Amino acid sequence: MIPMPKTLPLALALLLAAPPVASALTNDELARVVGEIDERQRNQGDWKALCYMEQKEKGKTDVVYELLVFRRDQDDKQMFLFTKPKAEAGKGYLRIEKNLWLYDPAVGRWERRTERERIGGTNTRRGDLDESKIREEYDAKWEADEKLGVYDVHKILLTVKPGVDVAYPVVRMWVDRSTTNVLKRQDLALSGRLMRTVYQPRWKKIFSPSKKADVWYPEEIRIFDEIEKGNSTLILIKEIDLRALEANLFTKAWLESRSR
Amino acid sequence: MIGVDLQIAARNLAAHTRRNLFLAGALAAVTGLLVLLGALTSGMEAAMTESATTLMTGHVNVGGFFKITSSSTAPLVSEYPKVLAEVKKRVPEIDYVTVRGRGWAKAVSENKSMDLVLAGVDVAHEPAFQRVLRISEGRLEDLGQPDTVLLFEGQAERLKVRVNDVLTLSAPTARGTNNTADVRVVAIAKNVGLLSAFSAFIQADALRRLYGLNPSATGAIHLFLKDPADAPTVAARLRAELATAGWRVMDPEAKPYWMKLMQTVPSEDWTGQKLDVTTADDEMGQFKQFILALRVVTGLLVVILMVVVVIGILNTLAIAIRERTREIGTLRAIGMQRGKVSWLILLETALLGVGGTAAGALLAVGLAAGVNAIGIHLPEAAQVFLAQERLTFLLDARAIATNAAFLAAVTIAASILPARRAARLKPITAMHHVG
Repeated sequence: MIPMPKTLPLALALLLAAPPVASALTNDELARVVGEIDERQRNQGDWKALCYMEQKEKGKTDVVYELLVFRRDQDDKQMFLFTKPKAEAGKGYLRIEKNLWLYDPAVGRWERRTERERIGGTNTRRGDLDESKIREEYDAKWEADEKLGVYDVHKILLTVKPGVDVAYPVVRMWVDRSTTNVLKRQDLALSGRLMRTVYQPRWKKIFSPSKKADVWYPEEIRIFDEIEKGNSTLILIKEIDLRALEANLFTKAWLESRSR
Repeated sequence: MIGVDLQIAARNLAAHTRRNLFLAGALAAVTGLLVLLGALTSGMEAAMTESATTLMTGHVNVGGFFKITSSSTAPLVSEYPKVLAEVKKRVPEIDYVTVRGRGWAKAVSENKSMDLVLAGVDVAHEPAFQRVLRISEGRLEDLGQPDTVLLFEGQAERLKVRVNDVLTLSAPTARGTNNTADVRVVAIAKNVGLLSAFSAFIQADALRRLYGLNPSATGAIHLFLKDPADAPTVAARLRAELATAGWRVMDPEAKPYWMKLMQTVPSEDWTGQKLDVTTADDEMGQFKQFILALRVVTGLLVVILMVVVVIGILNTLAIAIRERTREIGTLRAIGMQRGKVSWLILLETALLGVGGTAAGALLAVGLAAGVNAIGIHLPEAAQVFLAQERLTFLLDARAIATNAAFLAAVTIAASILPARRAARLKPITAMHHVG
């Protein structure tokens, strides 16, 4: 009889105590997870929300913006109307198809901006306040299953599809396995450098009559600038209203009329 | 004879010291102000021209914009070797050519960040660099190495970096995707005017990588001509010839390229490539307009001051002639001709005018030279307005002499009427005058 090594019981104990080795998500499972992320946030009708954006920059005074966010998802329309502070009131962004326009009532002029514009000079991008379009824009790859704080999460790497223009060509996401809420996201530059880390710790749902199901949205988004350490943006999304908006709302004339 | 007249005029002036000193003081103040404003405007213009021709423009530039979609705009010329060959063929006035990338990025160091307008350069093909840039730290030649950047002293100070430190540049590519590049500071140059506050040079390929461009794309072709005065003619001809050769060419507009990039071009509904042929004056268009406006404001100010001075002279001379009516009457009675009386009064005013304006000009020159010597560092807001980092007056002897002569001439002209009135007095009436 071969004598049992003295270290074997210890090795067995450690093996039993260790967390189970994560098995990779199959392509179908990954597609289901990604599809569910998009589907849970999809809203077929109109969307109106009151948002607050707080921008903290090193060596500068913190700035808080209050703005109304309007969306008509079926037509890919989006509009932001700043209401506070007073100096920014009346300023707005209007997205019609792939064009993003900025209106400044101080000069009474419209300027066409890139879709990847920093909204109000903060680290917020238009896409942060839009519904999720992962399937349309990215190819997904499962990286690992791991713990994020107390949550069990899938770690998924997204790479932009050829020919699609996005702000960040590579995105890494930590998705809650039980709810498929995106809890953490890392946005990477074309060079591979980490540019932003985004935390979405609080998710809420609201019933959408047009979708006839719940729509999920992150109530709080915390964006940390990884290039300029110390800069961060906090977005709070409040007072969601899914009733139909005026037909002529997504027009330059409507936005201009708000500041008259 | 003129010597005697001058003596008499000088004695008459000295007899009313307080009044004449006041008038001469006013003239000196106006002259000084005019000289200082003119020198400041010239200083601003010289500083801006120097930095612009070093940093952002040739005598003629063939730049352009590329729009992948109507809402995206990138400052670039695609397939530039073809454009360059065409330009060289059609412009025999060329002295030399440089090819530069254009862009902007946020530069982030360990502690600080700032926005930089970037020029991508191939330092081996920049013959004027060695002459114009004064390197205070590092080596200019090292800008030929991959992923390197040259900063100006003000930027290095603001970013708290030195040679061999690494900066991260962050900018969207031509397609709007965020990108970064780590670049090493290889040289720090002395500042050259306001533009060096936010313009930096980066190795050309590093700029291409940052913006996701291929090697056949660049920002602009800068043409340096044998005679810079040919620039408007060459630009107009090149614009027409490039259009004939099949390129889409933008209409001339006197604006720097970055203003077109930020304001005009993104709002235009076209896609693809358009070339933009500009001159150095076009690239400094807004600034030139600002200088012109400043000169107009200065001119208006001088006119207002001159009106005040002329009224003062008329009033002072009227009082003086009234006080000296009996004296004039006596002079006329003992045989002095009307012309001589007028001449003496004009001579007095001329002495006052020349003395006052000369004193004012000398004081202004002294003050300007003193300020130049001290090198007063301007606050950031004032730097933008005055286009200078340090308050600098450019003293041009001819301009100063012209200003002083003009003011003296106006003073003399203002005295013609009172002098003629004095000369017309009848001796008997004048001698009976009780004043």
